[in-house]
Amino acid sequence: MSFFQLFKAEVGAVFTNIALLLTVFGGVLFYSFLYPLPYVTQVPREQQVVVVNLDDSLLARRLVRMVDATPQVQIHSEAPSLAQARERLIEKKLAGILVVPENFYRDLLLGRQPTLAFAGDASYFLVFGTVLEGMGAAGMTLAAEIKVTQLLMSGQALALAQEQYSAITLGLHAMFNETQGYVNYVIPAVFVLILHQTLIMGMGILGGSENEQQKEGKTGHWQTASPAALLLARTLIFMIIYTLLSLYYYGPAYVYYDIPRLAAMGDLALLNLVFLLPVSFLGICLGAVLPRRELATLIVLLSSMPLVFACGFVWPISAIPAPINILMQLIPAVPAIKAFILLNQMGADFRQIFPQVVHLTILTAVYGLAAFLLLTRRKNCFAM
Amino acid sequence: MEKRASEWRLLVEDPWLVSLVTWLPPLLFVMIYAIFSQGMARNLPVGVVDLDHSTLSRTLIRYYDASPTITLAQNYPDALAGIKAMRGGEIYGLLIIPADTEKNAVLGRPPSIEAFYNSQFLLIGKQVKTAILQAHETALAKIDTLKHLGAHAPVMGQALARAVPVGIQATPLFNSNTNYAQFLVSAVIPALWQIFIVMTTVLSMATELRRDGLAGWLKDRPVRALVEKLAPYGLLFWLHGLVFLLTMVFVLGWPLHGNLVFLIFCQLITVIACQCAGALIFFLFRDAARGVGFAAAYCAPGLAFMGVTFPATDMTFLARVWRSLMPISHYMDIQIAQVNYGAVPMLSLPQVGYLVLFILPGLAACILAVRISRTRFGAEVAV
Repeated sequence: MSFFQLFKAEVGAVFTNIALLLTVFGGVLFYSFLYPLPYVTQVPREQQVVVVNLDDSLLARRLVRMVDATPQVQIHSEAPSLAQARERLIEKKLAGILVVPENFYRDLLLGRQPTLAFAGDASYFLVFGTVLEGMGAAGMTLAAEIKVTQLLMSGQALALAQEQYSAITLGLHAMFNETQGYVNYVIPAVFVLILHQTLIMGMGILGGSENEQQKEGKTGHWQTASPAALLLARTLIFMIIYTLLSLYYYGPAYVYYDIPRLAAMGDLALLNLVFLLPVSFLGICLGAVLPRRELATLIVLLSSMPLVFACGFVWPISAIPAPINILMQLIPAVPAIKAFILLNQMGADFRQIFPQVVHLTILTAVYGLAAFLLLTRRKNCFAM
Repeated sequence: MEKRASEWRLLVEDPWLVSLVTWLPPLLFVMIYAIFSQGMARNLPVGVVDLDHSTLSRTLIRYYDASPTITLAQNYPDALAGIKAMRGGEIYGLLIIPADTEKNAVLGRPPSIEAFYNSQFLLIGKQVKTAILQAHETALAKIDTLKHLGAHAPVMGQALARAVPVGIQATPLFNSNTNYAQFLVSAVIPALWQIFIVMTTVLSMATELRRDGLAGWLKDRPVRALVEKLAPYGLLFWLHGLVFLLTMVFVLGWPLHGNLVFLIFCQLITVIACQCAGALIFFLFRDAARGVGFAAAYCAPGLAFMGVTFPATDMTFLARVWRSLMPISHYMDIQIAQVNYGAVPMLSLPQVGYLVLFILPGLAACILAVRISRTRFGAEVAV
């Protein structure tokens, strides 16, 4: 069989395998809508907070209004006591309780430091942080106003007082994901993972289907073709399919979700090539050893969650135990996710992702060799 | 009884199924816990660009470095080099102390320090941001207090009050030390649990399909065959849920403020709900690969839709619909209400109701099973 014939036979095998087509094309398209779906509002807003105002002075009410005015927080209601506020928090699923202490105004005038207490539901981290941010902003504004008033009372000129309310100011800036949106945070990593996982699944389903047919005594081109040619043809087909799918992800899908695309086209294409190769080979390895095609989907699905959390974009690598980190280095998705984010979201230049590229190249060699050996072994089994 | 014995034998004969119901779930649960076991990030690398080289700038750097969350790992000669390191992911944050900071501070022109944090890695970035902010406030209060003590406010407390007129004290409720392990692990494991239950349900039925076709399995008592098939798996997965919950509470010492018995009961109906969903998926496709593929698409994003990492109240309508189609979202609401809030079980009744509604896909699966066994249609499909 010539290579061209083999290639044609492989194309036929891929495009008649419904489970494979559903996984590869259906999966990639479906997930591109499903995964960003919960996050499309990007940042949580107007979290509901209950207020316990124990002071009820003009200033205290002003503070409550200022908190309400922030985009992060909305005052749900006022409660007469802390116990009642707590009850309402659980019943109405509110985000937190703001307590203005007794004698808040008097303490301020006397120059004692009153403390605003905020108790938030930390079961939901993002909500807790959001409310705290809003409260902090309102508190800081009020504090600044008070300080200016104090300085004025101690005889400073207004212009100077406004400048001097803080000795050294801190300008805090979010970098790369300026709005701190959740889509921009999760999707660049998850899309790489989706391409990675569906590619392995597709290869696994293809190999598993052949193993099933072999068991049923059917014959096919995969039994006679030379392992090297088979490896080459199969990888080529999937590389073409996945280059097109990647173009959809990094192109229209990113434009649609307004995700930064900082990488130069050539750099991105090169990284994508280095990424797809080891993944294809890993998929072929899996397909060569799995007795049934559905097992590929199972294994890949179960590996997804540990992969997401151990690849470093959610949780710092330095905080993850070493044995898990070492194990994770075997999976192409781990260096690839980092490299894609650095290159495309953070604007690193290609030299800066060189370690990841080398890592992926080593995995290519390892899995390429393994795939070749496993296909050879499988062919020998068929021959027997 | 005879049939059930054969179900166990069938299970034991398939090493994949055995793994799915025995060692694999605990192994993954432990792995997820291990990833987050440190609980809080420590010593995240942050870079410094000190253009002032003064006593004040060095004092500030010392205060920043004292924060346990960050460590000032690297000095850069200029902002450009620092930003480049940020882009390369070498540091999670960057502090820039401009020239003449000390001079301006002495002259009464408040200097400004610029701090950048990496918000692409949102969770890590937020920790860096909070750490820098806190360190800055601490440093400021100390420097300011010294100034006031020297001038005209003689009492330490009053001097401090002049420095920071309003203090804000944040108390995290229900997760008192804002522990990431507790926050994420207690949500990730249920999401994984749902994946295991749904996938195993589909795979266990696929075993029958492979063996002697659906009609051969269902025979003339399809509903009974279905229930007998699912019951042993259901019990095993309930046990997994129980082990996870008890480990969380009694071994790791995470708080449980609510009713444990009620929660365990809810775990049972969650298992049944997941099995009903899995059974319907299988009977809709009647094919192992497509069934497993669809089940994977259905339950893989369970964590994203659960509403723990991103609040459900801020999701769009469509997202909330998809969310409510997954049993684990409702279970998670109950778990948080019980474990964290210590709410009375009555408050969780709506969620229990939603879980019970999953009987409907179960019924649909039964109807499909009955149709297959009546028409002997399964034999053809199995080929």
